[in-house]
Amino acid sequence: MAEPVAVVAAGVVTPIGADLDAFWAGLVGGAEGIAPIERFPVSDLRVGRGGEIKRLPPPARRLPARGRAVALLAAAADDLARRASLDVRPERLGVVVGTALGGVEELERALAGDRRPRRVADALYASPARALARYLGARGPVLTVSTACASGATALGLAADLLRAGRADLVVAGGYDTLCRFVMRGFDALRALTRDRVRPFDRRRSGLLLGEGAALVLLARAADAPRGALGRLLGHASTSDGVHLTAPDPEGRGLEAAARLALAEAGVAPADVDFVSAHGTGTALNDPIETAVLKRVLGRRAREIPVNSIKGGLGHTMGAAATLEAIMCLLAARHGVVPPTLGLEEPDPACDLDYVPGRARAARPRVSLSTSAGFGGCNAALVLEGVAA
Amino acid sequence: MRAARLAAVGLLTGWGAGPGALPPDARRAAGTRAVIALEAPQVGGERFRRATRECRLAVAAVEAMLRDGGLAPGALAGGRTALLYVTAAAYGAANRVFVEGPPGGALHFPYTAPSAVPAEVAIEFGLTGPYVILVGGAEATREALGHAARLLAAGVAERALVLAVETFAECADLWARARWRCPRPLVEAAACALLGSAGARLPGPAALARLEAGARRRAGETLACAPLVALALAAPARRAAPARRAAPAGR
Repeated sequence: MAEPVAVVAAGVVTPIGADLDAFWAGLVGGAEGIAPIERFPVSDLRVGRGGEIKRLPPPARRLPARGRAVALLAAAADDLARRASLDVRPERLGVVVGTALGGVEELERALAGDRRPRRVADALYASPARALARYLGARGPVLTVSTACASGATALGLAADLLRAGRADLVVAGGYDTLCRFVMRGFDALRALTRDRVRPFDRRRSGLLLGEGAALVLLARAADAPRGALGRLLGHASTSDGVHLTAPDPEGRGLEAAARLALAEAGVAPADVDFVSAHGTGTALNDPIETAVLKRVLGRRAREIPVNSIKGGLGHTMGAAATLEAIMCLLAARHGVVPPTLGLEEPDPACDLDYVPGRARAARPRVSLSTSAGFGGCNAALVLEGVAA
Repeated sequence: MRAARLAAVGLLTGWGAGPGALPPDARRAAGTRAVIALEAPQVGGERFRRATRECRLAVAAVEAMLRDGGLAPGALAGGRTALLYVTAAAYGAANRVFVEGPPGGALHFPYTAPSAVPAEVAIEFGLTGPYVILVGGAEATREALGHAARLLAAGVAERALVLAVETFAECADLWARARWRCPRPLVEAAACALLGSAGARLPGPAALARLEAGARRRAGETLACAPLVALALAAPARRAAPARRAAPAGR
């Protein structure tokens, strides 16, 4: 069992809300963040909709680098800084950020003829995290995690590891990704995007839609955490499928191992889990595999507790998704409400758990399990403990 | 708590296979060449038909490591081996092909993710244990080595494969634009180290940083591979890792 780490506060920018309060209100109220994409051309794609953030809040100070990824991270960091003090010696403040795409939009610009040397440096996937560290004045460890769409969970796990190892006293950790032509073209080519709405666990589900966003949490060793923290990260595990480059293991063995290892690190028994935030992409493959994994890991408890997916309203925000979902778990405990799974109307018999369809539900989950997966056979699980307000 | 030990290393660079192929002074050996490239090695047959050069290099480096350690191909398989992959730039070539390529590209798009490289390694060698992918240079690899040691100490894994790959040739023009930030020569490399409970003692962070300075002098700039090049240079010689599959491209 690992030493728990305090989640002191959170900050976000998402398609359904430009700060934490708006995000939570949007989740509970069933806000729709999916709309036609306007920031770049999509007319040649089969699907041109996604969770695009239409208006970013202005940054609190000058951004240290160009690019939308940095702007998203700065917006989330500003929101976080309004909610918690980052007052620590700069060399003791770490930054761990997950992303599936890094600064790929800057690579598109560099290849399109922008010859500024800086553009090439900005195109490196590690650049936005370094820019965030400069924005925050952090001089501790700076890590960029890229376990595809599980990045936002792996980043929190590595950040906790840095704290436990004494490498930092505070770590700003989370994930981000931007919507850009590169990723829209890629998922469009894979025919992974739906022309319908995203319908996690629904019989009619036909694929995902992408979204963009950034989500950051401030982590500290539990003993050093101020009063009023959002909750605690009790356990984390990231595992590899070792089966296929893009498709999940049909048996879900990697995801199962991640969930079991995270529960073991947390010292939490399946019977003590109150809520599951599922990866729930709304794809034909993911949802029944994930359902089967939850039944194996949690046993009878899987049928007794709420399970949700928030990707119906946000889209799949890739590197940001797992951190947003972890924050959602803690806010559910704080406010005593579990947000609904938007888009779920006709349950799939192969997905037979309680997915909170329709509307938000009064519940106060203390211990949550959050699961994530991504390209390259990446799996991750987090176990979180929330605090009632 | 037992300290992590270095069980085996695998090293392929633009100079050749193994630490013995490194020149005494990379800058002098490179002459006017900005990039010292590696050809795509022949690995695995049909499954690697579409795999990118960086994926093949990763698999070839692990094969070299298994030979170095006298280990069977199945030695890494299962959930008790952690896989930690680091790169600063080995996704650049795949991303460029996708950006500049024709519409579509469904078969290539999955290879644009940094996770494609360790995924191919995990599939090839059956690794299903703890999994971390970091993007960054030598500093990120030092973090990966530290994290691997902590996974072993915590008993989460029995072995940890720390792998790094860097390729530059396909984006040499972009690197040239940023040459004021980038030491020369850039040397392509695929390197890995297997940590476990047996083998040579792993140097601490300060000692590793010192070893890296020497490794850079000999190998050139290998970004994320640098700490692993240093470990390969410091590791006691066991058996020669024959340059069976990877060869320098001679650019």
